[in-house]
Amino acid sequence: MTHDRWTSGDAELTNALRALYAAPTEERYWDALEARILAHVARGDEGAMWWGELMEMVRPGLVAAAALILAATLAMVRSQQIEARSAYASVIAAPSTLEASSRGASVGDGDVAIHYLLSR
Amino acid sequence: MPTPAEGAAAERAIVVAAQRGADDAFSALVRIHQRRAYAIVRAIVLSHEDAEDAVQEGFLHAHRALDRFRPDQPFGAWLYRIMANAALDLVRRRKVRDADELPESIPMPFRDPAESGELRERLQEALTHLTTRQRAVIVMHDVEGFTHGEIGRTLGIPEGTARSDLHHARAALRRLLQDIRSTP
Repeated sequence: MTHDRWTSGDAELTNALRALYAAPTEERYWDALEARILAHVARGDEGAMWWGELMEMVRPGLVAAAALILAATLAMVRSQQIEARSAYASVIAAPSTLEASSRGASVGDGDVAIHYLLSR
Repeated sequence: MPTPAEGAAAERAIVVAAQRGADDAFSALVRIHQRRAYAIVRAIVLSHEDAEDAVQEGFLHAHRALDRFRPDQPFGAWLYRIMANAALDLVRRRKVRDADELPESIPMPFRDPAESGELRERLQEALTHLTTRQRAVIVMHDVEGFTHGEIGRTLGIPEGTARSDLHHARAALRRLLQDIRSTP
């Protein structure tokens, strides 16, 4: 037996394959299958239409929700920017006061020290 | 009896009518093609029930895609490609679902129980050891009489690949069934 060709000895196998895969022969089977196919197609189209209509109805709501989310995000970003700016401004402003007070304090302390040393 | 050219022209007219939304035209297309469609998907899936599901799904896809079909093309080739894809999808879904188990036996209605023999049972089991594509190719070729070119076009593979798959499928079946075949 060669493995390169489907030899005549394989007819038994081919016949078994044909028996296994033989399509139904009764006409009423095909009539019934046709009806099932058409019903399936109609159901599928109805489903698609239903989904399409739902999407049509929902679309304005989705657009409004997206606009709302966008506006809220912008407002949040803006308020964060304002907060950051005011925090930054307060940080910048704070050292000048500290500096002034610390400068005053250090000068005062220096004077005291010099006076103390000179008095000895 | 219409000539092939007349048949093609008549079918084109039916396809155009179906594209315009005529339900009876689509029914006619189902009637014309359902047997061949069944044969193709049956070659790919493992059971008659799955073949029925795949045919229904295939026609649904075809109906939805009908407006994209160009009527100057052969409708059958376009439809059978959709059918093959529907069957392959179903096989993939089944593989995911039944990843851990292969069916011991496959229910086969419309068969004479007296037909069942050892070869038949072993053949059924042996076919599950082939790849989906090898199984499809051997059934389409040896059972349905498709040419290598037709198989390639339907399954979306080169003709040479269809030939090679057929060779490997036969060799695998010979090997798997060598102990029970009457002819050495």
